[in-house]
Amino acid sequence: MKEMLIILFSAILVNNFVLSRFLGICPFLGVSNNLKTAMGMSTAVIAVLVLASGFTWPIYTFLLEPLGFGYLQTIVFILIIAALVQIIETILKKSIPSLYQALGIYLPLITTNCAILGVAILNIDEGYTFLQSLVNALGAGLGFMLALFLFAGVRSRLDKADIPQTLKGLPITLVAASLVSISFFGFKGLIERLFG
Amino acid sequence: MSAIALVFLSVLSDIMIPIAIGGGIALILGVVIVITAKFFDVPVDEKLESIKALLPGANCGACGFSGCEAYADALAQGEPNAGRCPVGGPDMAEELAELLGLAKPDFIPETAQVFCQGTTENTNKRYEYAGTPTCIAAAGLFTGPNSCAYGCLGFGDCIAVCQFGAIGIVDGIAVIDSSKCTACGMCVKTCPKELIRIIPKHLNAYTVRCRNKWPGIQTHKHCKVGCIGCQRCFKACKYGAITMDGPLAVIDPDQCTHCGECLSVCPTKAIRNGLTGNVPEQIPSEEAG
Repeated sequence: MKEMLIILFSAILVNNFVLSRFLGICPFLGVSNNLKTAMGMSTAVIAVLVLASGFTWPIYTFLLEPLGFGYLQTIVFILIIAALVQIIETILKKSIPSLYQALGIYLPLITTNCAILGVAILNIDEGYTFLQSLVNALGAGLGFMLALFLFAGVRSRLDKADIPQTLKGLPITLVAASLVSISFFGFKGLIERLFG
Repeated sequence: MSAIALVFLSVLSDIMIPIAIGGGIALILGVVIVITAKFFDVPVDEKLESIKALLPGANCGACGFSGCEAYADALAQGEPNAGRCPVGGPDMAEELAELLGLAKPDFIPETAQVFCQGTTENTNKRYEYAGTPTCIAAAGLFTGPNSCAYGCLGFGDCIAVCQFGAIGIVDGIAVIDSSKCTACGMCVKTCPKELIRIIPKHLNAYTVRCRNKWPGIQTHKHCKVGCIGCQRCFKACKYGAITMDGPLAVIDPDQCTHCGECLSVCPTKAIRNGLTGNVPEQIPSEEAG
């Protein structure tokens, strides 16, 4: 249990996928304009992350690894994630149209979100068990949500600030993102002390 | 010879097995996708698609729905009024009605109107504002630099949201070109002073161009053309179209008969008539905005 908590919180805070591992930067910059789109995107990311980890882990452990084709993991994982997102979209469209509407364009966009592939591969590299992989994926998704929400707040302040012409738009956004990222380094070592 | 063939075979098998694994997984996933797509098939409503193609796609929400898609949905499911979209105008409303077999909508064209005449000539500045040049930022600093706390700040937040280039700043206040305005209402939502209203597009419309709720004396001190709440127009109107909202006269455009009685009695010229008199000769180009 304690181990699970450590994995969960270090994925959220210490090894935040956006701010520490720099995965999923594109949606991070793209949809953090306002809280509503940030909400839609991060919900979709959490769902796909957990599901993708749930599928990629067994396929690697029971199929690729015993046959000695571990090196195929990247291409196989990409296949699985893309197909998974496609299937989820079709099912949602039919059975829960309101959720499908809410997630909107973000669901297909996630297919190319490197955070999903990143989590799937990291699960294998870290040698996590199946349950640990799921917890890690959940933590990664929550961390993504946290980063997106915090940054949506920062950006709403940026909109009202008087920014020099040269820095307007993406440049100041990147500067702000790096500052938020630095602030997350304050969590280093915190989790192990808390639970360890 | 046979050694080369052996090496070739082993290399072939080294390549073929990964290809088989990758291809096999891809094939299985493809089949699963096809099956789910068949199983969870959602029929596409062709009527909905053709409605969407007709709507302008401005997604402004002036129809009362959350966007063009939501309005198209409502229409497809039996919303009886095809004339809700001010951006598309009467022509599009007719086309929609025809497509859906609805009654011809009675479409009243509307336009946005700035309810302020506090030009630099008519009002003063309380302080020099040097902050971020947007209305919403300026309004946050002691309600803005204008002497009138209700007046137009003139930084052009409305210009920034107008998709039709219908707004310009003339003499320090926002002015709307009613010939370009589609009454989408984006500026209405944006104005921090709530000075913009949607009114019927009547070329002879009478409006009290003021939103000031101060007592008359205070209003008059800070703006030459503000409504001072003298109630003369209220008493002069024979049709009950004018009501007093505290010290502010308000004309109901639905009841106004455009007789012009109120205009002649207004001592401060806060009441004006006509939309065309308000159209700036030249809307400043985009570089200026």
